[in-house]
Amino acid sequence: MNSEVIINARKDLHGVSCPMNMVYTKVALAELGPGQILEVILDDGPPINNVPGSLKREGHEILRQQQCEDGSWALLIRKSD
Amino acid sequence: MEITVNGVAQSIAAAEPDLLSVLKSNKIEDPQMVAVQLNGQFVESSQYAATILSEGDVVEFLYFMGGGSR
Amino acid sequence: MIDFTTEQLNRYSRHILLKDVGVEGQVKLGRARVLVVGAGGLGSPAALYLAAAGVGTIGIVDNDQVDISNLQRQIVHGTKDIGRSKVESAAEAMRAINPDVEVRPLATMLCADNIMEIIKDYDFILDGCDNFPTKFLVNDACVMAGIPFSHGGILRFDGQTMTVIPGESACYRCVFRQPPPPDSVPTCSQAGVLGAIAGMLGTIQTAEALKYITGAGRLLTDTLLSFDASNMDFRKVALRRQDDCPVCGARPTITELTDAEQTVCALKK
Repeated sequence: MNSEVIINARKDLHGVSCPMNMVYTKVALAELGPGQILEVILDDGPPINNVPGSLKREGHEILRQQQCEDGSWALLIRKSD
Repeated sequence: MEITVNGVAQSIAAAEPDLLSVLKSNKIEDPQMVAVQLNGQFVESSQYAATILSEGDVVEFLYFMGGGSR
Repeated sequence: MIDFTTEQLNRYSRHILLKDVGVEGQVKLGRARVLVVGAGGLGSPAALYLAAAGVGTIGIVDNDQVDISNLQRQIVHGTKDIGRSKVESAAEAMRAINPDVEVRPLATMLCADNIMEIIKDYDFILDGCDNFPTKFLVNDACVMAGIPFSHGGILRFDGQTMTVIPGESACYRCVFRQPPPPDSVPTCSQAGVLGAIAGMLGTIQTAEALKYITGAGRLLTDTLLSFDASNMDFRKVALRRQDDCPVCGARPTITELTDAEQTVCALKK
């Protein structure tokens, strides 16, 4: 699925709790251009329950949300235009 | 007549009330203590006595407030 | 690249999380220069919150010393500071809150002959002075220099503030043409003031400074916000630039600054 998506940056936020995971995600997005793609790895539980909604409220698009084998989540974000 | 003073409706007994008397009835003894807007326009303090109010006029008294530091 | 340290990201995380501030807004705050006029009731919360917010350069100007009667509302100073220069006392508290910021204490009194030289280094002026001559001087100088500022005044349970963007929005003189006659309007030192009122108004002014720098929200321009805290009534009165304003109007009659009405300043020179 979506194998053509080019990921412009990755941020591993294993073990980073709320709200600093959102802060680091915003910093990573600030370094990208409009429409570029960021992948972040978030812990299960509050992180994956909160961060995607916060990103949507800021106008970014969640392209994919997929649970990894260790229970964490890979989130593919398209930066707002 | 009914006018609005600082956002609050007021009934005025006089038929042709002037701005100065409305200032006094609102306990502003020294007209130099306020800037006055009538229906959004500033009125020069020298004109308060000569300015006659009409039904529905909106009056704002803007107070000098100088405190801050000491 | 965004060159915040991990410590700074933690320190400013609640700003960065805000959609209307974000990483970009925090960078702008770090590059901004704000001057606080007066290290008193309004200047105290302003100085502390500007420093806490990470405003890169903060000037604070006041020629006074801390007196025990200040401490009921001037929360940037402590009991141990009685007798010290207010700006030195404030600078210490600001640096303690946030060592990232550059604090410039200016132990002087703003006058016609020094104000332009002082304000030219700043992006925004927060007026928390305690007298009308200085309030008018700040207005006139900021209009002439094109520097945005926040006016603030408090008395008893009341406060008022407006934000002025010279050339765009109504200035203080559009509303109040000239200082009231001496002693016609009581000052806090004569009439008293509820301490927390200074905090209420000083933080509103600070929020305006932070909004101006980050571009967040809508400013209190062309608006006089006033409140009466005895009933917690807040009111906004719409204002407009006045074509006949003596300083920002079409044909200004005030084209240079003078100390003619600066009685306090003249005494202390």
